[in-house]
Amino acid sequence: MAARVLSTQEIKITSEDEVVLVRRAVRALAERRGFDSFASAALTTAVTELGRNIWVHARSGLVIIEELEDGPRPGVRVEFRDQGPGIPDIGWAMAGGNSTSSSLGLGLSGTKRLVDEFQIQSEAGRGTSVRITKWKRF
Amino acid sequence: MHTGQIPILRIGTTLLASIQVELRDTTAQAFQEDVLKAIEKTRSRGLVIDITGLDMVDTFVARILTDTGRMAKLMGTETVLVGMRPEVAATLVRMGFSMQGVHTALNVDEGLALLPLLQSSQARS
Amino acid sequence: MTSTLEYMNKLGFTEQELASRRAYFQLADEDLARLAALRPFAERHNDAIVDAFYQELILKHSESRLFFTDQATLQRAITAQKRYFLELFSGAADLGYLENRLRVGTTHQRIGVAPKWYLGAYAHYLRLITERLLDEQGGSADTQAKVRSLQKIIFFDMAIAIETYIAAGLDALARHQAAIRELSTPVIQLYERVLLLPLIGTIDTARAVQVMESVLVRVVERQAKVIILDIAGVPVVDTRVANHLLQTTEAVRLLGASTVLTGISPQVAQTMVQLGVDLSKMHTRASLEEGLELALGLTGRCIRSKEG
Repeated sequence: MAARVLSTQEIKITSEDEVVLVRRAVRALAERRGFDSFASAALTTAVTELGRNIWVHARSGLVIIEELEDGPRPGVRVEFRDQGPGIPDIGWAMAGGNSTSSSLGLGLSGTKRLVDEFQIQSEAGRGTSVRITKWKRF
Repeated sequence: MHTGQIPILRIGTTLLASIQVELRDTTAQAFQEDVLKAIEKTRSRGLVIDITGLDMVDTFVARILTDTGRMAKLMGTETVLVGMRPEVAATLVRMGFSMQGVHTALNVDEGLALLPLLQSSQARS
Repeated sequence: MTSTLEYMNKLGFTEQELASRRAYFQLADEDLARLAALRPFAERHNDAIVDAFYQELILKHSESRLFFTDQATLQRAITAQKRYFLELFSGAADLGYLENRLRVGTTHQRIGVAPKWYLGAYAHYLRLITERLLDEQGGSADTQAKVRSLQKIIFFDMAIAIETYIAAGLDALARHQAAIRELSTPVIQLYERVLLLPLIGTIDTARAVQVMESVLVRVVERQAKVIILDIAGVPVVDTRVANHLLQTTEAVRLLGASTVLTGISPQVAQTMVQLGVDLSKMHTRASLEEGLELALGLTGRCIRSKEG
């Protein structure tokens, strides 16, 4: 059964300030749906990492925050879209990154471990889209 | 003494910085500069960074903290990071960021107690 | 226990959801108006129908009879049932109505009444009242429309009852699971600043995560300098488990404390080295005793024999 979307929030990223807004919005949502402190910290950190990627590498983008429900189970899904330079080799970037863009590489592979679902699409010159989902643990 | 948002106190030859605010990237960078300037100005031998107030530490902040410790060490100052919250520690290790090379202690008292041990071993080497 | 309002939030019972449900069950305002107009009829026949319902169905059936051990319980149930069925003819299907129906489902779950019982009851009641309605008012198109409206609201109710039953069950399950997790990671304070966690049984990923979180919370709570993890009771210690233990140790270090791993049997020691697991960063000891001595030493204490 597909998850239900209860609410949606969109935040355009044009500066560091909006990354902070995204973080606060996600934290507030996680707390409202009763996520425990560990899950909330993981989710908040993940969105900060991904939001920062948009700001640092693409300078502008869009973040979509969705409140989900899969039956009785609450979840949070966040999508990060930008029209930045894109990632030419996702596999390489996810495998722990390299020295120059180490912030990007470590951020992505590390972030993946903080969430339940992680999807990434990117093409050199075409931008990047990352979608993460975290479910409340019973 | 502080030009930025994070106050840095002086206790003898030790500096104590307590981070209570939400750390944006620019605030973290300013903090690093303030600390190093303070070390230079006061000729401190020890630095305790209290992060009891942080409910989130991402890779950027983790890197700033680790780098600050390394930079302080080059200037002859040992650093101890204290008061990390359980969920912050869990998140960092899950991401694969275990902050090797950073000394840690449970709280400010323990941090202050640890510094002399670190400093004496530094003197010997 | 969760309040009905919390359940309404949980199940997403908003005005929007209500409207969507009514549309799906085709429960329109005219249906509700028809039901409201039927109220006098329902009041006339309700007592007889519910009494017959209990005599013919519930008490004749051996399994359902078990729920009603004494007269008092039976009377209470009958009274509640009568009130419940009358509300079908209230002419309203708003959030207040929903909240009422919700309470039924959660009560059923709590006292252990499975869906088959109340679904059977709905079917029986529908049959009984339809018979009486057709008897009294004939088989005209008008009466048939009334029967259809009645069917619609009964199915509408059934859906809510089942969903709340499931939600309440999952809630109970979640509480049980939380309790089991708590019980399976008992962190003990051995001395001031020294904690012990004896791990017993298999450590899968879910449990490993839970162990790490419990450990970290307790270390900060008690400001413990050392935590001893005893794995003598863990049957299989492979690379995965070892990595979980390593990760926990790293996290404990970030807090400013240290970990001592004890209960390492010769077999486990062999496996670890052969698998190439690097436990050199951890304090390790074969027995809990030795681990305790080390932990005390790390906190500036030692065990001394008494003189003489």
